[in-house]
Amino acid sequence: MKTTQTFFEAGSHKWTAIVRDPAKPGYLIDTNEYLVQHAGQGLLLDPGGAEIFPAVFSALSAEFDPSRLAGIFASHQDPDIISSLALWLEFNPQMKCYVSWLWASFIPHFGGTAETFVALPDEGMAIPLAGLPLQAVPAHYLHSSGNLHLYDKQAKILFSGDVGAALLPADRQGLFVEDFAAHIRHADAFHRRWMGSNEAKRQWCERVSQLDIDMLCPQHGAIYRGGDVQRFINWFDELRVGVARA
Amino acid sequence: MTAEPTEIASRRHGAGPGASGPARDLLRIVRINEEIKRVVAVAFKINIMALNAIFLAKRAGNAALGFGVLSNELRVFSKDLRESMMALTRLIHDAVAEVSVLLQESRQDGLFRRTADEVPGNARLREVLARRDGRRAAREERIATLRRNLRLAVDEAARLVELGGVLAKSAKIEAAYGAGFASSLAQVSGEFDGIVEEIRASLDKLRRSSFFGGRA
Repeated sequence: MKTTQTFFEAGSHKWTAIVRDPAKPGYLIDTNEYLVQHAGQGLLLDPGGAEIFPAVFSALSAEFDPSRLAGIFASHQDPDIISSLALWLEFNPQMKCYVSWLWASFIPHFGGTAETFVALPDEGMAIPLAGLPLQAVPAHYLHSSGNLHLYDKQAKILFSGDVGAALLPADRQGLFVEDFAAHIRHADAFHRRWMGSNEAKRQWCERVSQLDIDMLCPQHGAIYRGGDVQRFINWFDELRVGVARA
Repeated sequence: MTAEPTEIASRRHGAGPGASGPARDLLRIVRINEEIKRVVAVAFKINIMALNAIFLAKRAGNAALGFGVLSNELRVFSKDLRESMMALTRLIHDAVAEVSVLLQESRQDGLFRRTADEVPGNARLREVLARRDGRRAAREERIATLRRNLRLAVDEAARLVELGGVLAKSAKIEAAYGAGFASSLAQVSGEFDGIVEEIRASLDKLRRSSFFGGRA
């Protein structure tokens, strides 16, 4: 079963990570799901694949009433991101799914109707959560041609989808990056292969450098915090991406 | 102790090792459809053969008048058989659609059951499971109706083929009166008979399909 770890809390405003399922079959990639709570409402970020729905739902329920989820944010279209959509909508058909306009007609193959989807424009937009504006930030061509991250100005947290992802060995399962140099080795090959454009990467690095970020939360691996956030941005900016071999 | 609806469904869909009930049904339907396609191809062949037989009967003149009439009847039989197979194909299409959705929903049912096991106290989750149980029961009822209609349509096609068999055998008898054309007419009527037997064998196979509770 997955566990929840709340890593930001200020009044009714919380960020919780749903992570690390020891019972997960080895053939499925491990994923981090994030719940943003504000004034009693919740937004689930990259809710995961259909196969891990029971584990995510169960862990989430221990922390938050799932019927109070206002929506789902999908950074992009991959099955490990959003193939559980039909199951979440079966539980709460009113839920909205925020996704790049580019994938808004592809993701309904996983579930949902025309009313479900809020197509995010390329430049991003504000997503309200009980009055709190969360900002969808463009990250196109970084893993996916229509890709968006989510910035919470109040909590100073950037949810970065697959950017910053690391495939960690079994003995390094902590929620946070503790040793940047050791950690980044597990992110290197993934970023070179899965990020498609050096130009897009440079634009993203410039864009997020303007944001005030305390924590950068990827969909796989561990959370970068404090100085490691800028350390990661600098590392990524230097990395040559879009190559099958290093 | 009474089993919960979800437990019953679980047993029904996970009936054995490997494929689930709906998955096996889908495979059976695909096999039925392949057999129907074979019959349609043969029915088309009968139409061409009957057309040639009509020309042959015309050349044979008065001696093959009866043969000509039967050849024409065989053309009508070919057309009726094709229409019958089209009706079967439409039913197959509906059955594939229903069984495919059932297959997808069975997988989701499994995930929801696992979720309910993890979070037993969630009332809304129980509502979802009850709703899904109701939906699945309605879908299974529709599939059962389609199964019955499909079986009736196969039986109807089999009756039609019995008529085709009679026509082919009568054509064999009429060929004997074909004077100088008797051997050619006998050859054609023999081919008719062979083809109708081929169709009969296909339909017998369909009637024995495990989709209808048989063993094939």
